[in-house]
Amino acid sequence: MAEKMELNEIEVWDGNMAASQALRQAQVDVVAAYPITPSTPIVQNYSSFLANGYIDGEFVMVESEHAAMSGCVGAAAAGGRVATATSSQGFALMSEVLYQASGMRLPIVLTVVNRALAAPLNVNGDHSDMYLGRDSGWIQLDAFNCQEAYDLTLMAFRIGEDHSIRLPVMVHQDGFITSHTAENVRPLSDDEAYEFVGEYKPMNAMLDLARPVTYGVQTEEDWHFEHKARQHADLMTKVFGKVEEVFEAFEKKTGRKYNIVEEHYMDDAEVAIVALGTTVETAEMVAKMMREKGIKAGVVAPRLFRPWPYEQIKKALSKVKAVACLDRSSPNGALGALYNEVTASLYQSDNHPVITNYIYGLGGRDFTVNHAKEIFEELDANAKEGRPTTPLQQFIGPRGPKLSFY
Amino acid sequence: MKYLGWDELLPGAILFSFDEEMEKDASEVLPENRPYAETNSYKAYVGDWRVLKPVYNRDLCIDCQFCWIYCPDVSIISRDKKMIGVDYDHCKGCGICVEVCPTNPKSLLMFEEQVDNDKALAEWPEKE
Amino acid sequence: MSEMKKIKNLKEFSTSADRFEGANLLCPGCAHSIIVREILNATNDPMILSASTGCLEVCTAVYPYTSWDASWIHIGFENSSTAIAGAEAMYKALKRKERLPKSCEGKSPKFVAFGGDGATFDIGFQWISGCFERGHDMMYVCLDNEVYANTGGQRSSATPIGASTTTSPAGRVSYGEKMNKKDIVQIMAAHGSPYVAQVAPNKWKDMVKKIQKGFATEGPVFINAMSACTTEWKFAPDDTIAVSDLAVDSLVFPLYEIENGTKLTITYRPKNKIPVRDYLGAQGRFKHLFKPEYEYLIDEWQKRVDDYWEYLQRREEAGV
Repeated sequence: MAEKMELNEIEVWDGNMAASQALRQAQVDVVAAYPITPSTPIVQNYSSFLANGYIDGEFVMVESEHAAMSGCVGAAAAGGRVATATSSQGFALMSEVLYQASGMRLPIVLTVVNRALAAPLNVNGDHSDMYLGRDSGWIQLDAFNCQEAYDLTLMAFRIGEDHSIRLPVMVHQDGFITSHTAENVRPLSDDEAYEFVGEYKPMNAMLDLARPVTYGVQTEEDWHFEHKARQHADLMTKVFGKVEEVFEAFEKKTGRKYNIVEEHYMDDAEVAIVALGTTVETAEMVAKMMREKGIKAGVVAPRLFRPWPYEQIKKALSKVKAVACLDRSSPNGALGALYNEVTASLYQSDNHPVITNYIYGLGGRDFTVNHAKEIFEELDANAKEGRPTTPLQQFIGPRGPKLSFY
Repeated sequence: MKYLGWDELLPGAILFSFDEEMEKDASEVLPENRPYAETNSYKAYVGDWRVLKPVYNRDLCIDCQFCWIYCPDVSIISRDKKMIGVDYDHCKGCGICVEVCPTNPKSLLMFEEQVDNDKALAEWPEKE
Repeated sequence: MSEMKKIKNLKEFSTSADRFEGANLLCPGCAHSIIVREILNATNDPMILSASTGCLEVCTAVYPYTSWDASWIHIGFENSSTAIAGAEAMYKALKRKERLPKSCEGKSPKFVAFGGDGATFDIGFQWISGCFERGHDMMYVCLDNEVYANTGGQRSSATPIGASTTTSPAGRVSYGEKMNKKDIVQIMAAHGSPYVAQVAPNKWKDMVKKIQKGFATEGPVFINAMSACTTEWKFAPDDTIAVSDLAVDSLVFPLYEIENGTKLTITYRPKNKIPVRDYLGAQGRFKHLFKPEYEYLIDEWQKRVDDYWEYLQRREEAGV
């Protein structure tokens, strides 16, 4: 038996420690992992827990992220709780296997510490890796701070492993800004946390020798479409309810309330920023400041990035006049992903706000209070004019001539 | 097997080998006693791949089992150390069984697919 | 450790109940399934299997049919090794935590990964190397047909000099493949694996003995299985065993084993050593070598095979 760790009511943890403690408390059966900045400390912390008797599952230190996810898939198909961690290039390397994990409906938890994608190489936080995963068939939850990284990691097991869901789950946090920033975190005790996550209930396990099962079949044009349709249908119809159920159960246990789409000052907001990650807290603070200046500002933040909360976004933005979608990933020849998703969600809505797109913070470039202020001011002008007063897509902050499109 | 709609599929595109839980490992249960699922290729048919088929002559066979070990398609049926026949649902007609047969004349020979087995046995060649 | 299955002779072996099914989609005369059957029938222990993308995978799990009567997984081209290592890790974890499925309690499942030579020598090499370094209790079997057969016969780093493949074709100014075959057996032995062996399905007794030895060995075991390919080596489907005999009797595929990274033992010495020329002549992929201008390549082949045989014998004698 693994030893229990005595935790304080309030611990000072960075996002990596928060995630690794959640993995420890979930008593994961197999972690197959490979270290990469900035998620390396998750793997290191886990190694240290193991070395000190706090882990009784298997910890397989593999030779690449592709192997990490491959080992996770084999382990999950065998029939037990599985998790790993990665970032950026590692995420890109394992991307082939991400699709295979979700296609085989294996509930693996992947803690992703978001980081930019090369070239040029960069170790800092942006959302390029998170966006790379958006068509992979995984559930994607986004944490905006260390406490949420902890909470959502625990909840991810309960969501993904549910027999009505059986899908892998990513829990994202921002590289360095969350992963390496120590904050106050209120953990559950080991017993409470495990009780919340629950014992793993196997389904179609390869190790159930009474029912030999074949995983990873070949399907061609006569069967492939139906399998993909099944997976998409389950993502579209089953996940939202389960996520809400787990959020409610978590609130009951801890008092901490999570929503599929988080809203700040949205009751009477006329202008809104839609953002992900740590930017949400900055925008929230600035929205409060803007209100003191008479601009009715609000913030909308998808907690669930995949499946995309189409209805919830539509509802959250049902009254605003102008929206700014902030994408922390270079769209490389298109409007930003968040812009496209939000715009699509609102197109069928009764409300048609002016929607603009900002590309910001690439490779860890700071997103400042002043940036948020400027955006709200531009939104205010858009709202008053009822049309875009700025180009549709603007880059915030790169040196050189102002970059904007459309 | 009939085509199914997306809503009728098992999540993960998994396939079970058997319909029922197996008390023993399959290595301890002969095929005729296994609860094969419709999705087990045992239930499928590849006999139409053949141009020539192996015909088995029990009278000449010495039960050496060379044909059993070298058959790529699990189509030589042996029970209790005796060769008892060819599984024409799964035999693709490669002819390995005939090549490895050591008797003289051979106990397995290839014939045109449409030739009746009794007729083939009646035409069996003499010892060389 | 479970008891080893008794297989004194072929009659006794033939009482095995196959866990690999017919009506798979492998070519008539394919050696892959002969190898798979010999391996699966070598034990009555339960098995957990994996396969890399390739002929074996694409022909035995084509929805809605599986040809496997034991649990089986395919992920991708490069990672059948790590897939089975993950399953093996889960077995260990659940055993320690006393949470194995009831049907698995008290059993000793064998964890076996299959991959073609492309998956083994080329694209999946890193994954295999990682698994062997970490010491998973598993067997990796390379079905070595010296070519990417599934995709239409492209060269791999297992393709021998002079073979005409679709990406190293013999032509007006080329005799085909220019590179010598990678020595995968020695490379895997150099990982310090407790047991590494080369096998051929036509020598079933040698094969079964080695597979059983591999199953009885704790740690990662590597098996390189020669798999004569009727389609890409270009011989008639009924000649699979005959060509395999030529391969081992010419010593192009010597049968030997290496224990604990060093101790080499030759397990088969042909009574009548056959010229390499006879082996090459039986296959269409080497047909062009018999033109006068390429005859020298056949002589070089023979010398290479003789030298390697000499090397194996000297290592065996030296006990290293």
